[in-house]
Amino acid sequence: MAQTESASRDKILARIRAALREPAPRHEPASQPKTIFAPVTEALARFQKECATNITECIVTPNRRASASAVKDVLASIPPGDVFVQDSPELRQFAEEWSKDRSIQWSSEGPPRESSQATITACEALVAQTGSVLVSAACGGRGASVVAPVHIVIATVDELVPDLDAALASVLERGIVSVNSYLCLITGSSRTADIEKILVMGAHGPRRLIVFLSLA
Amino acid sequence: MSTASREFLRRAAEKSADLNHREILRRVVDNCNTSMDSGRLRFANWEAARQRCHEIKWEALNNLDRYLLEFEQRVKDRGGYVFWAENSAEACGYITDLAISRGVHKVVKSKSMVAEEIHLGPALEKVGIEDIETDLGEFIVQLRKEAPYHIVSPAMHLTRKDIAALFKEKLGDIDTDDPQELVAAARRALRRAFFSAEMGISGANFLVADAGMIALTTNEGNARLCTSVPRIHVAIAGIEKVIPRLQDLALFWPVLATAGTGQPITCYNTLTGGPRKPNEVDGPEEFHVVLLDNGRSELLADAERRDVLHCIRCGACLNACPVYRTVGGHTYGTTYQGPIGSVLTPHLRGLNEFQHLSYASSLCGACTDVCPVKIDLHHHLLENRRDAVRSADRPFTERIGFKIWRWAMQSEGRFALAGWFARAAMRIAHSMKLEGTALDPLGPWSKNHASPAAPKRSFRALWGKANGAD
Repeated sequence: MAQTESASRDKILARIRAALREPAPRHEPASQPKTIFAPVTEALARFQKECATNITECIVTPNRRASASAVKDVLASIPPGDVFVQDSPELRQFAEEWSKDRSIQWSSEGPPRESSQATITACEALVAQTGSVLVSAACGGRGASVVAPVHIVIATVDELVPDLDAALASVLERGIVSVNSYLCLITGSSRTADIEKILVMGAHGPRRLIVFLSLA
Repeated sequence: MSTASREFLRRAAEKSADLNHREILRRVVDNCNTSMDSGRLRFANWEAARQRCHEIKWEALNNLDRYLLEFEQRVKDRGGYVFWAENSAEACGYITDLAISRGVHKVVKSKSMVAEEIHLGPALEKVGIEDIETDLGEFIVQLRKEAPYHIVSPAMHLTRKDIAALFKEKLGDIDTDDPQELVAAARRALRRAFFSAEMGISGANFLVADAGMIALTTNEGNARLCTSVPRIHVAIAGIEKVIPRLQDLALFWPVLATAGTGQPITCYNTLTGGPRKPNEVDGPEEFHVVLLDNGRSELLADAERRDVLHCIRCGACLNACPVYRTVGGHTYGTTYQGPIGSVLTPHLRGLNEFQHLSYASSLCGACTDVCPVKIDLHHHLLENRRDAVRSADRPFTERIGFKIWRWAMQSEGRFALAGWFARAAMRIAHSMKLEGTALDPLGPWSKNHASPAAPKRSFRALWGKANGAD
């Protein structure tokens, strides 16, 4: 296997190099670079508006403690079963409140079970432009935000960035890209339109995505 | 005429006469186009977005060796493996050998056009490995043992009644045509597959050179499960999929979503690079990327048509194409359908066998207008026609016809003479009812179209009379 690998690799690279001796024609760039996306000005208002469009439940709270209490109400409304929670010092603080009624599985205990009913995680960034949540493997792992039918995100307004460009710049700058083997930009909950273009929610991933966004 | 060409014509005639099929196709495609039209309005300047995408892809393709090597190095740094495959056999061989050596019995696959291109499914089945498609549309066409109908919407030719009947027969635990229930049934069946498969296979929408990660775009979340749950993840991608920088995705993600489905952005845009890290909760133990050439480096050598490799497989040109809208996806008999398929297939699978696809176009240019990376699609179809005339087998009547045309166009007298013969021939053919028969050189056209009566006098004569030259 190793033999073939290096032989094919060399052949392909040699062909590419030979092919590129002649440059391809191109559509010349405009002399003045044009704005592609209108700049995002009111980030919070834009985030809420985009969430409404992409079917994310965005709930703004005064502080994280209030978010934690509101999560309790959501947990009360979903069927019995485990709640998978990203193991972080901050979420551990709130867990006492949640664990009264639900059994909690921490991400440090292993990946989420298929039977888990909800997942609670933090995030790396919120993107106003598209109403998206950016998570990494550090947010409870790869399966955290996809296995359970409900995904709850606890975030603060500090994590909100205006657009995708800023979000990607931020995770690069903070070393999140190199430290994690996985990142996911989540926009709304899982859906499909493969049957007659009719929109159905909850194809393989969560049916509900709920973001608790605290102002402090 | 090649077998592929005869089959194409037969299926095209059949499908274009099937009004029910055309109605389904029209409804779905119109729906896509309406969403895309409104999606484009969310950009301050869609044309500037297309131009920038073109520039980024141009930069990537014209420095392909450099960016592929950078990608390879970064994937290795992350603990992944990179295999370079010259052709389908090598790519399938690598993946089946890997699966056998790791004791894999079941594979879950998320939608990959490259996997279709190399016929990975049959290769896995041949060595006794169960292969399950997890994208809902792909899952449906796999159950029907069919090829995908569209790059983005594989099952778009089916109604919910068709799918309900299929699920009732194959899955058993369901008897309804409610889309919500049908999706739930597929979800149940596929959840079992995700949690019992040892290997997940995905494509890649982009290979990000500076991050050493692959980018995957899905709405359903199936690619996320494929790349998270099984213990081995294999990603397979054409060498042209590389982009220089992670931040290029800030443009490509919204552009791909808009051109593909009209969404502002797709639900899940995932980046994975390498296996699970020691401190991470989950993820595969092994991560492999198969880089496939399969004729792409030869297309790269053609500077005139190098931009065909810019394609991000959004499917917009299929939806815009009047031919695709009439004959549908299966008529093409190729992995990639519509305008991009008609341009690409002769390069990947031989000009002589697939030259007819260059003629399956009205050259209206709708594909070129809609392409988010500005591929000059309809001119490439014209170039393929030029090459076909130079090097491939063309019909005898066409060659003679153009010889006569060339001779006639060289002087006024010859032109007048040829016109007189043509009018006479039309009158004779009409009186003997030869139109549309094997003896009629215009047969393929006049078979389905009523010819006008031959004019008594030529245009030149009428013009001369009207302008008083007589």
